[in-house]
Amino acid sequence: MWLPPATPSYPGALYLACWFAGSVLLAFLVLPLVALALTQSGASLAGVARMVDVRDAIVLSLEAAFLSAAAAAVVGVPLAYALARTAFPGKGIVAALVDLPLAVPHTVAGIALLLVFGRQGVLGEPLQTFVGLKFWGTIAGVVVAMLFVSAPYTVNAARIGFEAVDPRLEKIARTLGLNPWRTFMRITLPLARRSIMTGVTLTYARSISEFGAVVILVYYPMTAPVKIYELFLRFGLEQSAAAAVLLLIVSLSLFVLLRTLAQRGGVPQENR
Amino acid sequence: MSASLAVEALTLTLGAFRLNQIDFALARGEILVILGPNGAGKSVTLETIAGFHWPDSGRVLIGGSEVTALPPERRNIGFVVQNFGLFPHLTVAQNVAIARRSDRAIAAPDSTFPAHGDPAALLSYFGVAHLAKRMPAALSPGEKQRVALARALASVPDVFLFDEPFSALDADMREQLREELNTFLRALAIPAILVTHDRGDAIALADKIMVLRDGAVVQSGAATEVFRKPISSFVARFVGVENVLPGRIVETTENGISIEVGKQIVGAARGQSMPAGRPIVVSIHAEDVAVSLPEGERQKSAINRFAGRVTAMRRAGALVTIAIDCGFPLRAFLLGPQVREMGLDVGSGVAVQIAPEAVHIMAD
Repeated sequence: MWLPPATPSYPGALYLACWFAGSVLLAFLVLPLVALALTQSGASLAGVARMVDVRDAIVLSLEAAFLSAAAAAVVGVPLAYALARTAFPGKGIVAALVDLPLAVPHTVAGIALLLVFGRQGVLGEPLQTFVGLKFWGTIAGVVVAMLFVSAPYTVNAARIGFEAVDPRLEKIARTLGLNPWRTFMRITLPLARRSIMTGVTLTYARSISEFGAVVILVYYPMTAPVKIYELFLRFGLEQSAAAAVLLLIVSLSLFVLLRTLAQRGGVPQENR
Repeated sequence: MSASLAVEALTLTLGAFRLNQIDFALARGEILVILGPNGAGKSVTLETIAGFHWPDSGRVLIGGSEVTALPPERRNIGFVVQNFGLFPHLTVAQNVAIARRSDRAIAAPDSTFPAHGDPAALLSYFGVAHLAKRMPAALSPGEKQRVALARALASVPDVFLFDEPFSALDADMREQLREELNTFLRALAIPAILVTHDRGDAIALADKIMVLRDGAVVQSGAATEVFRKPISSFVARFVGVENVLPGRIVETTENGISIEVGKQIVGAARGQSMPAGRPIVVSIHAEDVAVSLPEGERQKSAINRFAGRVTAMRRAGALVTIAIDCGFPLRAFLLGPQVREMGLDVGSGVAVQIAPEAVHIMAD
């Protein structure tokens, strides 16, 4: 679209005011993390990185978050497509259900999950008996807790991505001889790829940061946030801050990496 | 069997919308233009032919065989939409290659055309081979249309469907692409349907015209027939007849029919007899109105010759549309040089003449 060049009515003052208000928020977001990072010297970080239990906790967090992001993609992306392309009575309710975990306090989510996946849970018990899959004291429990609180990000981002794909492109693909499955794989999915990747990245990030649901459903093995909490209770601020900064560095660099990958190779936008 | 595309009594309910008894047949190379306002069912008709909606009843036949129950990917249809619908994440070459049909590749070429299933040959044919590695966003509208046509041909279609392909373009580009499409479709000899709400598309391309309103056919037939003899003022306005005027039958004689229009009596060629006093609507194409400078009183008695005054002039290209009040409002066309030569301006007195054969009578 052609836009007129800047004229005297260019809303400079408005933008300035918005940026001013916005910088207050940005400072509020960045300041605590900078303050935390500044408490640590390279030596103290190296020290905490040599602690096997801290390293194990961080690796477990990364693994479990990866699995939960993968699980969210496998079941969340189809749900997102169904929500984007079909109309049915009660669709609003289904969409609200997807958002539900965002509104549930995570300790509450942990207790609810315990009722389903715990030793006597409706799924926990039969799965243990018949499949040998345990959700207590295992990474499976960690993944379940993470998935519950983080899946909405994948579903919602993917849904927005699918809704932005012109249905006429899918129709054209069909007339060109592609069946619905191939149309989805060759046209729809690649066009929504960026949104899906953004959602999966958010799910991954949210999973790493999850504490409440994980700590209730599975205390052991400890994920990094649980380990930091334990260090805080047993040794105080100093010990836990070192581990906290280490986790911060690892998770932030991964987040930045994934975000960059997700944004790469986007579809060139049409000039309209 | 002779029809290359036939739609028989197609009826479809889609929520509150209903497509009612759509019927037509196209021979090889014929172009049908479907006209109608928004919501008339034009696109739904196309999409039903393409297989995206299940009709309640009726049949669709392509090349003589029924496809009503087949999914879109098995109907052999070339579908072109607004902005041409190239896949934005694929290069031009990939866009065309995705359509390649292993089961139908290299059908016998109809004429001078490259084998329809051959992507590289098609890109060359349309003069866009040098764009093969480009992304669609980097193409001009003209290039997009050619790529879209090449892609559609790569799937070896038996029918072409166009859903408002030009509606996002400016007037000049629209005219240019329309011409190009016309040349291409005439060479190809595949039946085509073009949905539009632009009568210019219909004038330029149509062999047949179907006018839809609220899901039903208002008028359908040869393009010239629909243009010259619209059955109602709705159709007349839609196909762009410039003068649609309410009137009343005065009398029917063996010489013709006299109609009271505004403050004048207009003569029409003898058609079917009409009872005096009956309210009707007449349509007169602007190009059938002859405009001259006012002359002596002697000529005034000629049939359908009226004195009038110019009320407005609008220039579009070489053509000037002149609005005249001659006892009823009338629009006529003149060329720019004619207007200068006659020294016409708003307020100028003129004489107009309309051949009785050009006065078309409609019931409403």
